[in-house]
Amino acid sequence: MADEGERHGRAGMDRAADGSPLEERTTRTGALPGNRYVRIVRPPEFRRGRGGMFVATDEALKPQTSAGRGYELLRRILFGPPISTEHELSERLGVATGLGVLATDNISSSAYSIEEVMRVLALAGTGALFLTMPIGIAIIVVLGIVIISQTQVIRTYPGGGGSYAVAKHELGTLPGLVVAGSLLIDYTLTVAVSTAAGVDAIGSFVQPVFEHRVFWGVALIALIMLGNLRGVREAGLIFAGPTYIYLLAMLGLILFGAFHIFTGAMPPTAVPPNPFPSTGTEALGIFLILRAFASGCAALTGAEAVANGTPSLRPPEARNGVITVLLMGSVYGVVLFGLTFLAAQTHALPDVKEQETVMSVVTRTFVGKGAYYYLVQISTSVLLILAANTGFTGFPRLASVLADDRFMPRQFSFRGERLAFSVGIVALAIAAALVLAAFGGSVTNLIPLYTIGVFMAFTLAQSGLVRRWWVRHERGWQWRIAISAVGAFATGATLLIVATTKFEYGAWMVIVMLPLLVLLLFAIHRHYSAVADALVIEDPDRAVLRPTVPIVLVPVARLDLSAVRALGFAVSISPHVRAVHVATSAESATIFRSRWERWSGRHLSDGREIALDIIESPYRALLQPLLKYVDRVDERDPRPITVVLAEFIPRHWWELILHSQTAFRLRWALLFRPNTIVIDVPYHFSAVGREEEAPVRGA
Amino acid sequence: MAYKKILVPLAGSAVDPDVVRLAVSIGKPAKARLYGVHVIEVRWNLPLDAVLDAELDHGEELLASAARIAAQSGGELETELLQAREAAAAIVDIARERQCDLVLMGMPYRRRLGRTYVSRTVEEVYLGAHCAVLAYRQEASQ
Repeated sequence: MADEGERHGRAGMDRAADGSPLEERTTRTGALPGNRYVRIVRPPEFRRGRGGMFVATDEALKPQTSAGRGYELLRRILFGPPISTEHELSERLGVATGLGVLATDNISSSAYSIEEVMRVLALAGTGALFLTMPIGIAIIVVLGIVIISQTQVIRTYPGGGGSYAVAKHELGTLPGLVVAGSLLIDYTLTVAVSTAAGVDAIGSFVQPVFEHRVFWGVALIALIMLGNLRGVREAGLIFAGPTYIYLLAMLGLILFGAFHIFTGAMPPTAVPPNPFPSTGTEALGIFLILRAFASGCAALTGAEAVANGTPSLRPPEARNGVITVLLMGSVYGVVLFGLTFLAAQTHALPDVKEQETVMSVVTRTFVGKGAYYYLVQISTSVLLILAANTGFTGFPRLASVLADDRFMPRQFSFRGERLAFSVGIVALAIAAALVLAAFGGSVTNLIPLYTIGVFMAFTLAQSGLVRRWWVRHERGWQWRIAISAVGAFATGATLLIVATTKFEYGAWMVIVMLPLLVLLLFAIHRHYSAVADALVIEDPDRAVLRPTVPIVLVPVARLDLSAVRALGFAVSISPHVRAVHVATSAESATIFRSRWERWSGRHLSDGREIALDIIESPYRALLQPLLKYVDRVDERDPRPITVVLAEFIPRHWWELILHSQTAFRLRWALLFRPNTIVIDVPYHFSAVGREEEAPVRGA
Repeated sequence: MAYKKILVPLAGSAVDPDVVRLAVSIGKPAKARLYGVHVIEVRWNLPLDAVLDAELDHGEELLASAARIAAQSGGELETELLQAREAAAAIVDIARERQCDLVLMGMPYRRRLGRTYVSRTVEEVYLGAHCAVLAYRQEASQ
């Protein structure tokens, strides 16, 4: 028996029963004399967790009403079943899926970045397009520096937050918030630009989409938002496939095009519907070249997404993050170089009205308008749209880190049922849709706003790392400092170029917005600090203070069961109870008083009587006289005030509109009044009009 | 014979998953209700209703695991935690209270003094239960 008994859990240490309402212990007598056993019964909504805690089960989440069940079913269809916190690790992304999720923005930029370079150069005439290739190579060099810098950020701060974490810890709170603000703006623009570019790509071959691009852009943002609300892993599974299809299609096109070029079998170059004229409107100067470079640097956005989202990767997070970012940089570099090469060799022209993309022109040149053309165009469109997903991965995660640091509302750190940062996802979708609509869904209008934020983040993060290596002299600091310094210089120079050249085209908006956003983050932090100071328990050994017995006021509209119940509760908590009635006329006041005097329940068992004040309100206002009455009582009486509200709860929610909801309005009006406790005594009404027992809620 | 209510005492041994699967397969044709029960044996120097955190945690875990196995096998296991001085007496009593028509006991394969060992709990349930008792012994190789 000994070993059997041990397995059945023979008693070791004992402690007294805690009498928890979630665990009932009943002793039962067995069939044989002397046999007794204890049944441990738990409600199905809770199970016992480790260390005597209780864990809510799926049963606890089940809705009770049919409307609730319908809503739950809809949520399940849209977002999937809830995922428990303990399964967080299995929701993480591997390198392959991580590349598909975190690198979509960066990789997809190859579809339009070189076009943006060409569009600026073409302002000086199509002859200036010979600079496309050198500028493309310059962008790839900067990309290389940024990628190496990002591996350092990931290795140093694998806990996420990316550039924000680096700048905050190494340079201080203000630089950290500048980075955070920049990235938040940039992620919003990522979603807006990617969606607009995706809609443009579809618009290249479906004219109605081009004509209603704002509508389609907003619809796509909503769709991506829904995908992300289903959780990181599921979003990854949805979004990773198109990334690989795009890469294969691009590599196929590049190889096919290169084969044609090197074998001298160049087909005639396709012409877009509205090609740029050969004579330009601007002179080809250094400023225009730098502006073209700055526009092309949009290609580097999204390079920080992996560093920011490292915690969403499977362990070892840092190693997987570095592999992902290196893969992203390599693949992207190859595609960008290949497309720039093809565009330069074919002398493709951009479309003045953005009706056809350069990518479409290049593809049409080599493969005609066949199946492969549509494969390239559709995969590009899908990837451009899904690039917005990088924003949806980065923004909510960064917002949650900021919320944890008390720089953003706490709701942003809350994870929904699918372990996604739901508030951040929805907030980003709304912000991006507004930006998209404000700029008419035009990529060219949006691009000048883009990239400033991300280069600001790169520069400050790299500067932070330079400082870190310099101060700490960690292993290999000499070569690390060299990489970070080159990174800081290169990205800083690019930032200056981007800010100067794009200033008048819209970059000024970001430069104005950024300090305002930083001020807002500071203001939020100041509020949370003040609240934390006010709520802190300074002396943990201090006993709980018993509050003074309050004076209780019970507003009574009608002397009915609901009011009687509230009065009964009031006398149970204090001997100082006053009923107050606001009458709309002298007659109704008289009627109420006579009813009150006929009601014997006002006399208490100890001989006292509940006091009654009647206020006549000639203008029929209810709330204001009541609030003034509470003010006057408060002035004259030093005791705290408790207002007990009788609230009638109808059987169905839609019956609420048949009642005036005065208690609700009064509770709301008293919410911000100091020194006032509001207690709600609900009176639940059943179909037959009988009273149901209901708990008393304090507000 | 079709069993309508099957009680499966679970002690947290290696044989538990097999017994749960067997109970599901026996109960499936007649859509039998399956009860999984774990008895915490309380030493005589403690009150019978003493709160034993470690044993409760262990019991909850093994019952949750058994319920999962039953669900994976296509059945549903209602679980219950008991405290008693002797596991066997409580199993016999709960089988009577639940009006079970079969108690399915699991026995890990063990040998003592050159003979296959049958635990006292199994023996006492076998002798004391009002209903049919089926003892499932694990394979020797396991």
